Amino acid sequence: MMEKKQIESIRNQRRPKGIVSELTVNLLHLKNPWITAFWSAIFPGLGFLIMGSYIKGFLLIIGATIANSMGHINQAIIYGLTGQAELAKQILDTRWLLFYAPLQIFATWSSYHLTADLNKYAILAAREGSGIIPFKIGTWDIGFLDKRNPWVAVAWSLLMPGLGHLYSHRIPTSFYLLTWWIGMSYMAHLLPAIHQTFLGNFSEAIATIRQEWFLYLVAIYPYSVYDAYVNTVEYNILFDQEQSQFLIDNYQNCKFPMPAMDNRH
Amino acid sequence: MYVYASFDYSAFLELAITDLEKRGIAREHILAVTLDKRVEERMVLDTIHRADGMSLFDGAMVLGAILMELGVIYGFILEWGPIIWGLIGLLSGAIIGFLLDYFYGRIFGNKKTKSPRNRVEAGECNNTEVVLTVYCNNSQYEMVEKVLWDNMAFGVGKLDRLRNTSGNGATSDGKETN
Repeated sequence: MMEKKQIESIRNQRRPKGIVSELTVNLLHLKNPWITAFWSAIFPGLGFLIMGSYIKGFLLIIGATIANSMGHINQAIIYGLTGQAELAKQILDTRWLLFYAPLQIFATWSSYHLTADLNKYAILAAREGSGIIPFKIGTWDIGFLDKRNPWVAVAWSLLMPGLGHLYSHRIPTSFYLLTWWIGMSYMAHLLPAIHQTFLGNFSEAIATIRQEWFLYLVAIYPYSVYDAYVNTVEYNILFDQEQSQFLIDNYQNCKFPMPAMDNRH
Repeated sequence: MYVYASFDYSAFLELAITDLEKRGIAREHILAVTLDKRVEERMVLDTIHRADGMSLFDGAMVLGAILMELGVIYGFILEWGPIIWGLIGLLSGAIIGFLLDYFYGRIFGNKKTKSPRNRVEAGECNNTEVVLTVYCNNSQYEMVEKVLWDNMAFGVGKLDRLRNTSGNGATSDGKETN
């Protein structure tokens, strides 16, 4: 009797909703394509991470980071927007500058299309009602669906990007965010600048910061909060759907004695 | 007799069910009816180009990210520096984005306008989502009730037998069987 439990609940998975693996839960969910396109425009590759397309996302992120820092594009953006166009022109390295544009445009365009495509499959998966296995224990970690509070994920992400994803068990994103945040904060001199800011020494804070590294942090911070929230909510929804399917498959037996009228009165 | 209980989707629900089975309630005598929430219905019926119940957070974070970026950049030439201006940008962007989305929904009268009281946030916990019916003997009732309460049931009720109430004058023709 106990063995049947699993087999019945795992249905034909031609259109899967998602999978639970040791390191993450990867799933299809409806998203607004403009939103993923927006995050990829903020920094190439982020939109792919939202959709769970990690290899493409990491390739774009690494490519864009190299092109950006070698071409001094962040520094040029700051100069350009603060009315120092001459300085911007001087600092841009034309041997790298034009690598950045195709990467960014491709990332934005491709994120939009990936999302629009996956939305169709998310709908198909929902209609098929395909099941998933909600628990995976492996050599390196234990992945499972659980109900988690999205605002707790937000709070941890605000404290330090990547922690929210550790909470919701989305390890690849978490690993990327944590290494990125720690590395870039160090390079940008973020912590000394925060220190000076809260002491009220604003001019010293500005002088401490290394601007072009600092701009990398700005893209990641709101992204980590947003993504942690969305994923926690989606995991909760997936948990509900999976459990609902399991109950329907196992606890609606035709032998259940339905209440009948007592006619003895 | 029948014992009814309401639950949300959680690991506790499965703990309750397996505990009952272990204590001798047959699987055929446990009936679970899952309730759909309105938000999920909307999710699937929604168009491909609209997000799934989190659009308020979408707009807030998009504007938050943009204003944070600008806040940091102009913070380099403003008095308070990029950190404070960045945080101001993030916070004000998030609030403005949220309000815009909220009132945009109101003003242009889309589905959000008449948000019914039973509409819940996507993924929210602590709502009745499953109604469990357990068929058991009178002697098992206390055990069943305790198991259900101990596993976070929201409410537990029992039904001894259905009564024929039409004789009292206060009733319903249609519901009478036989």
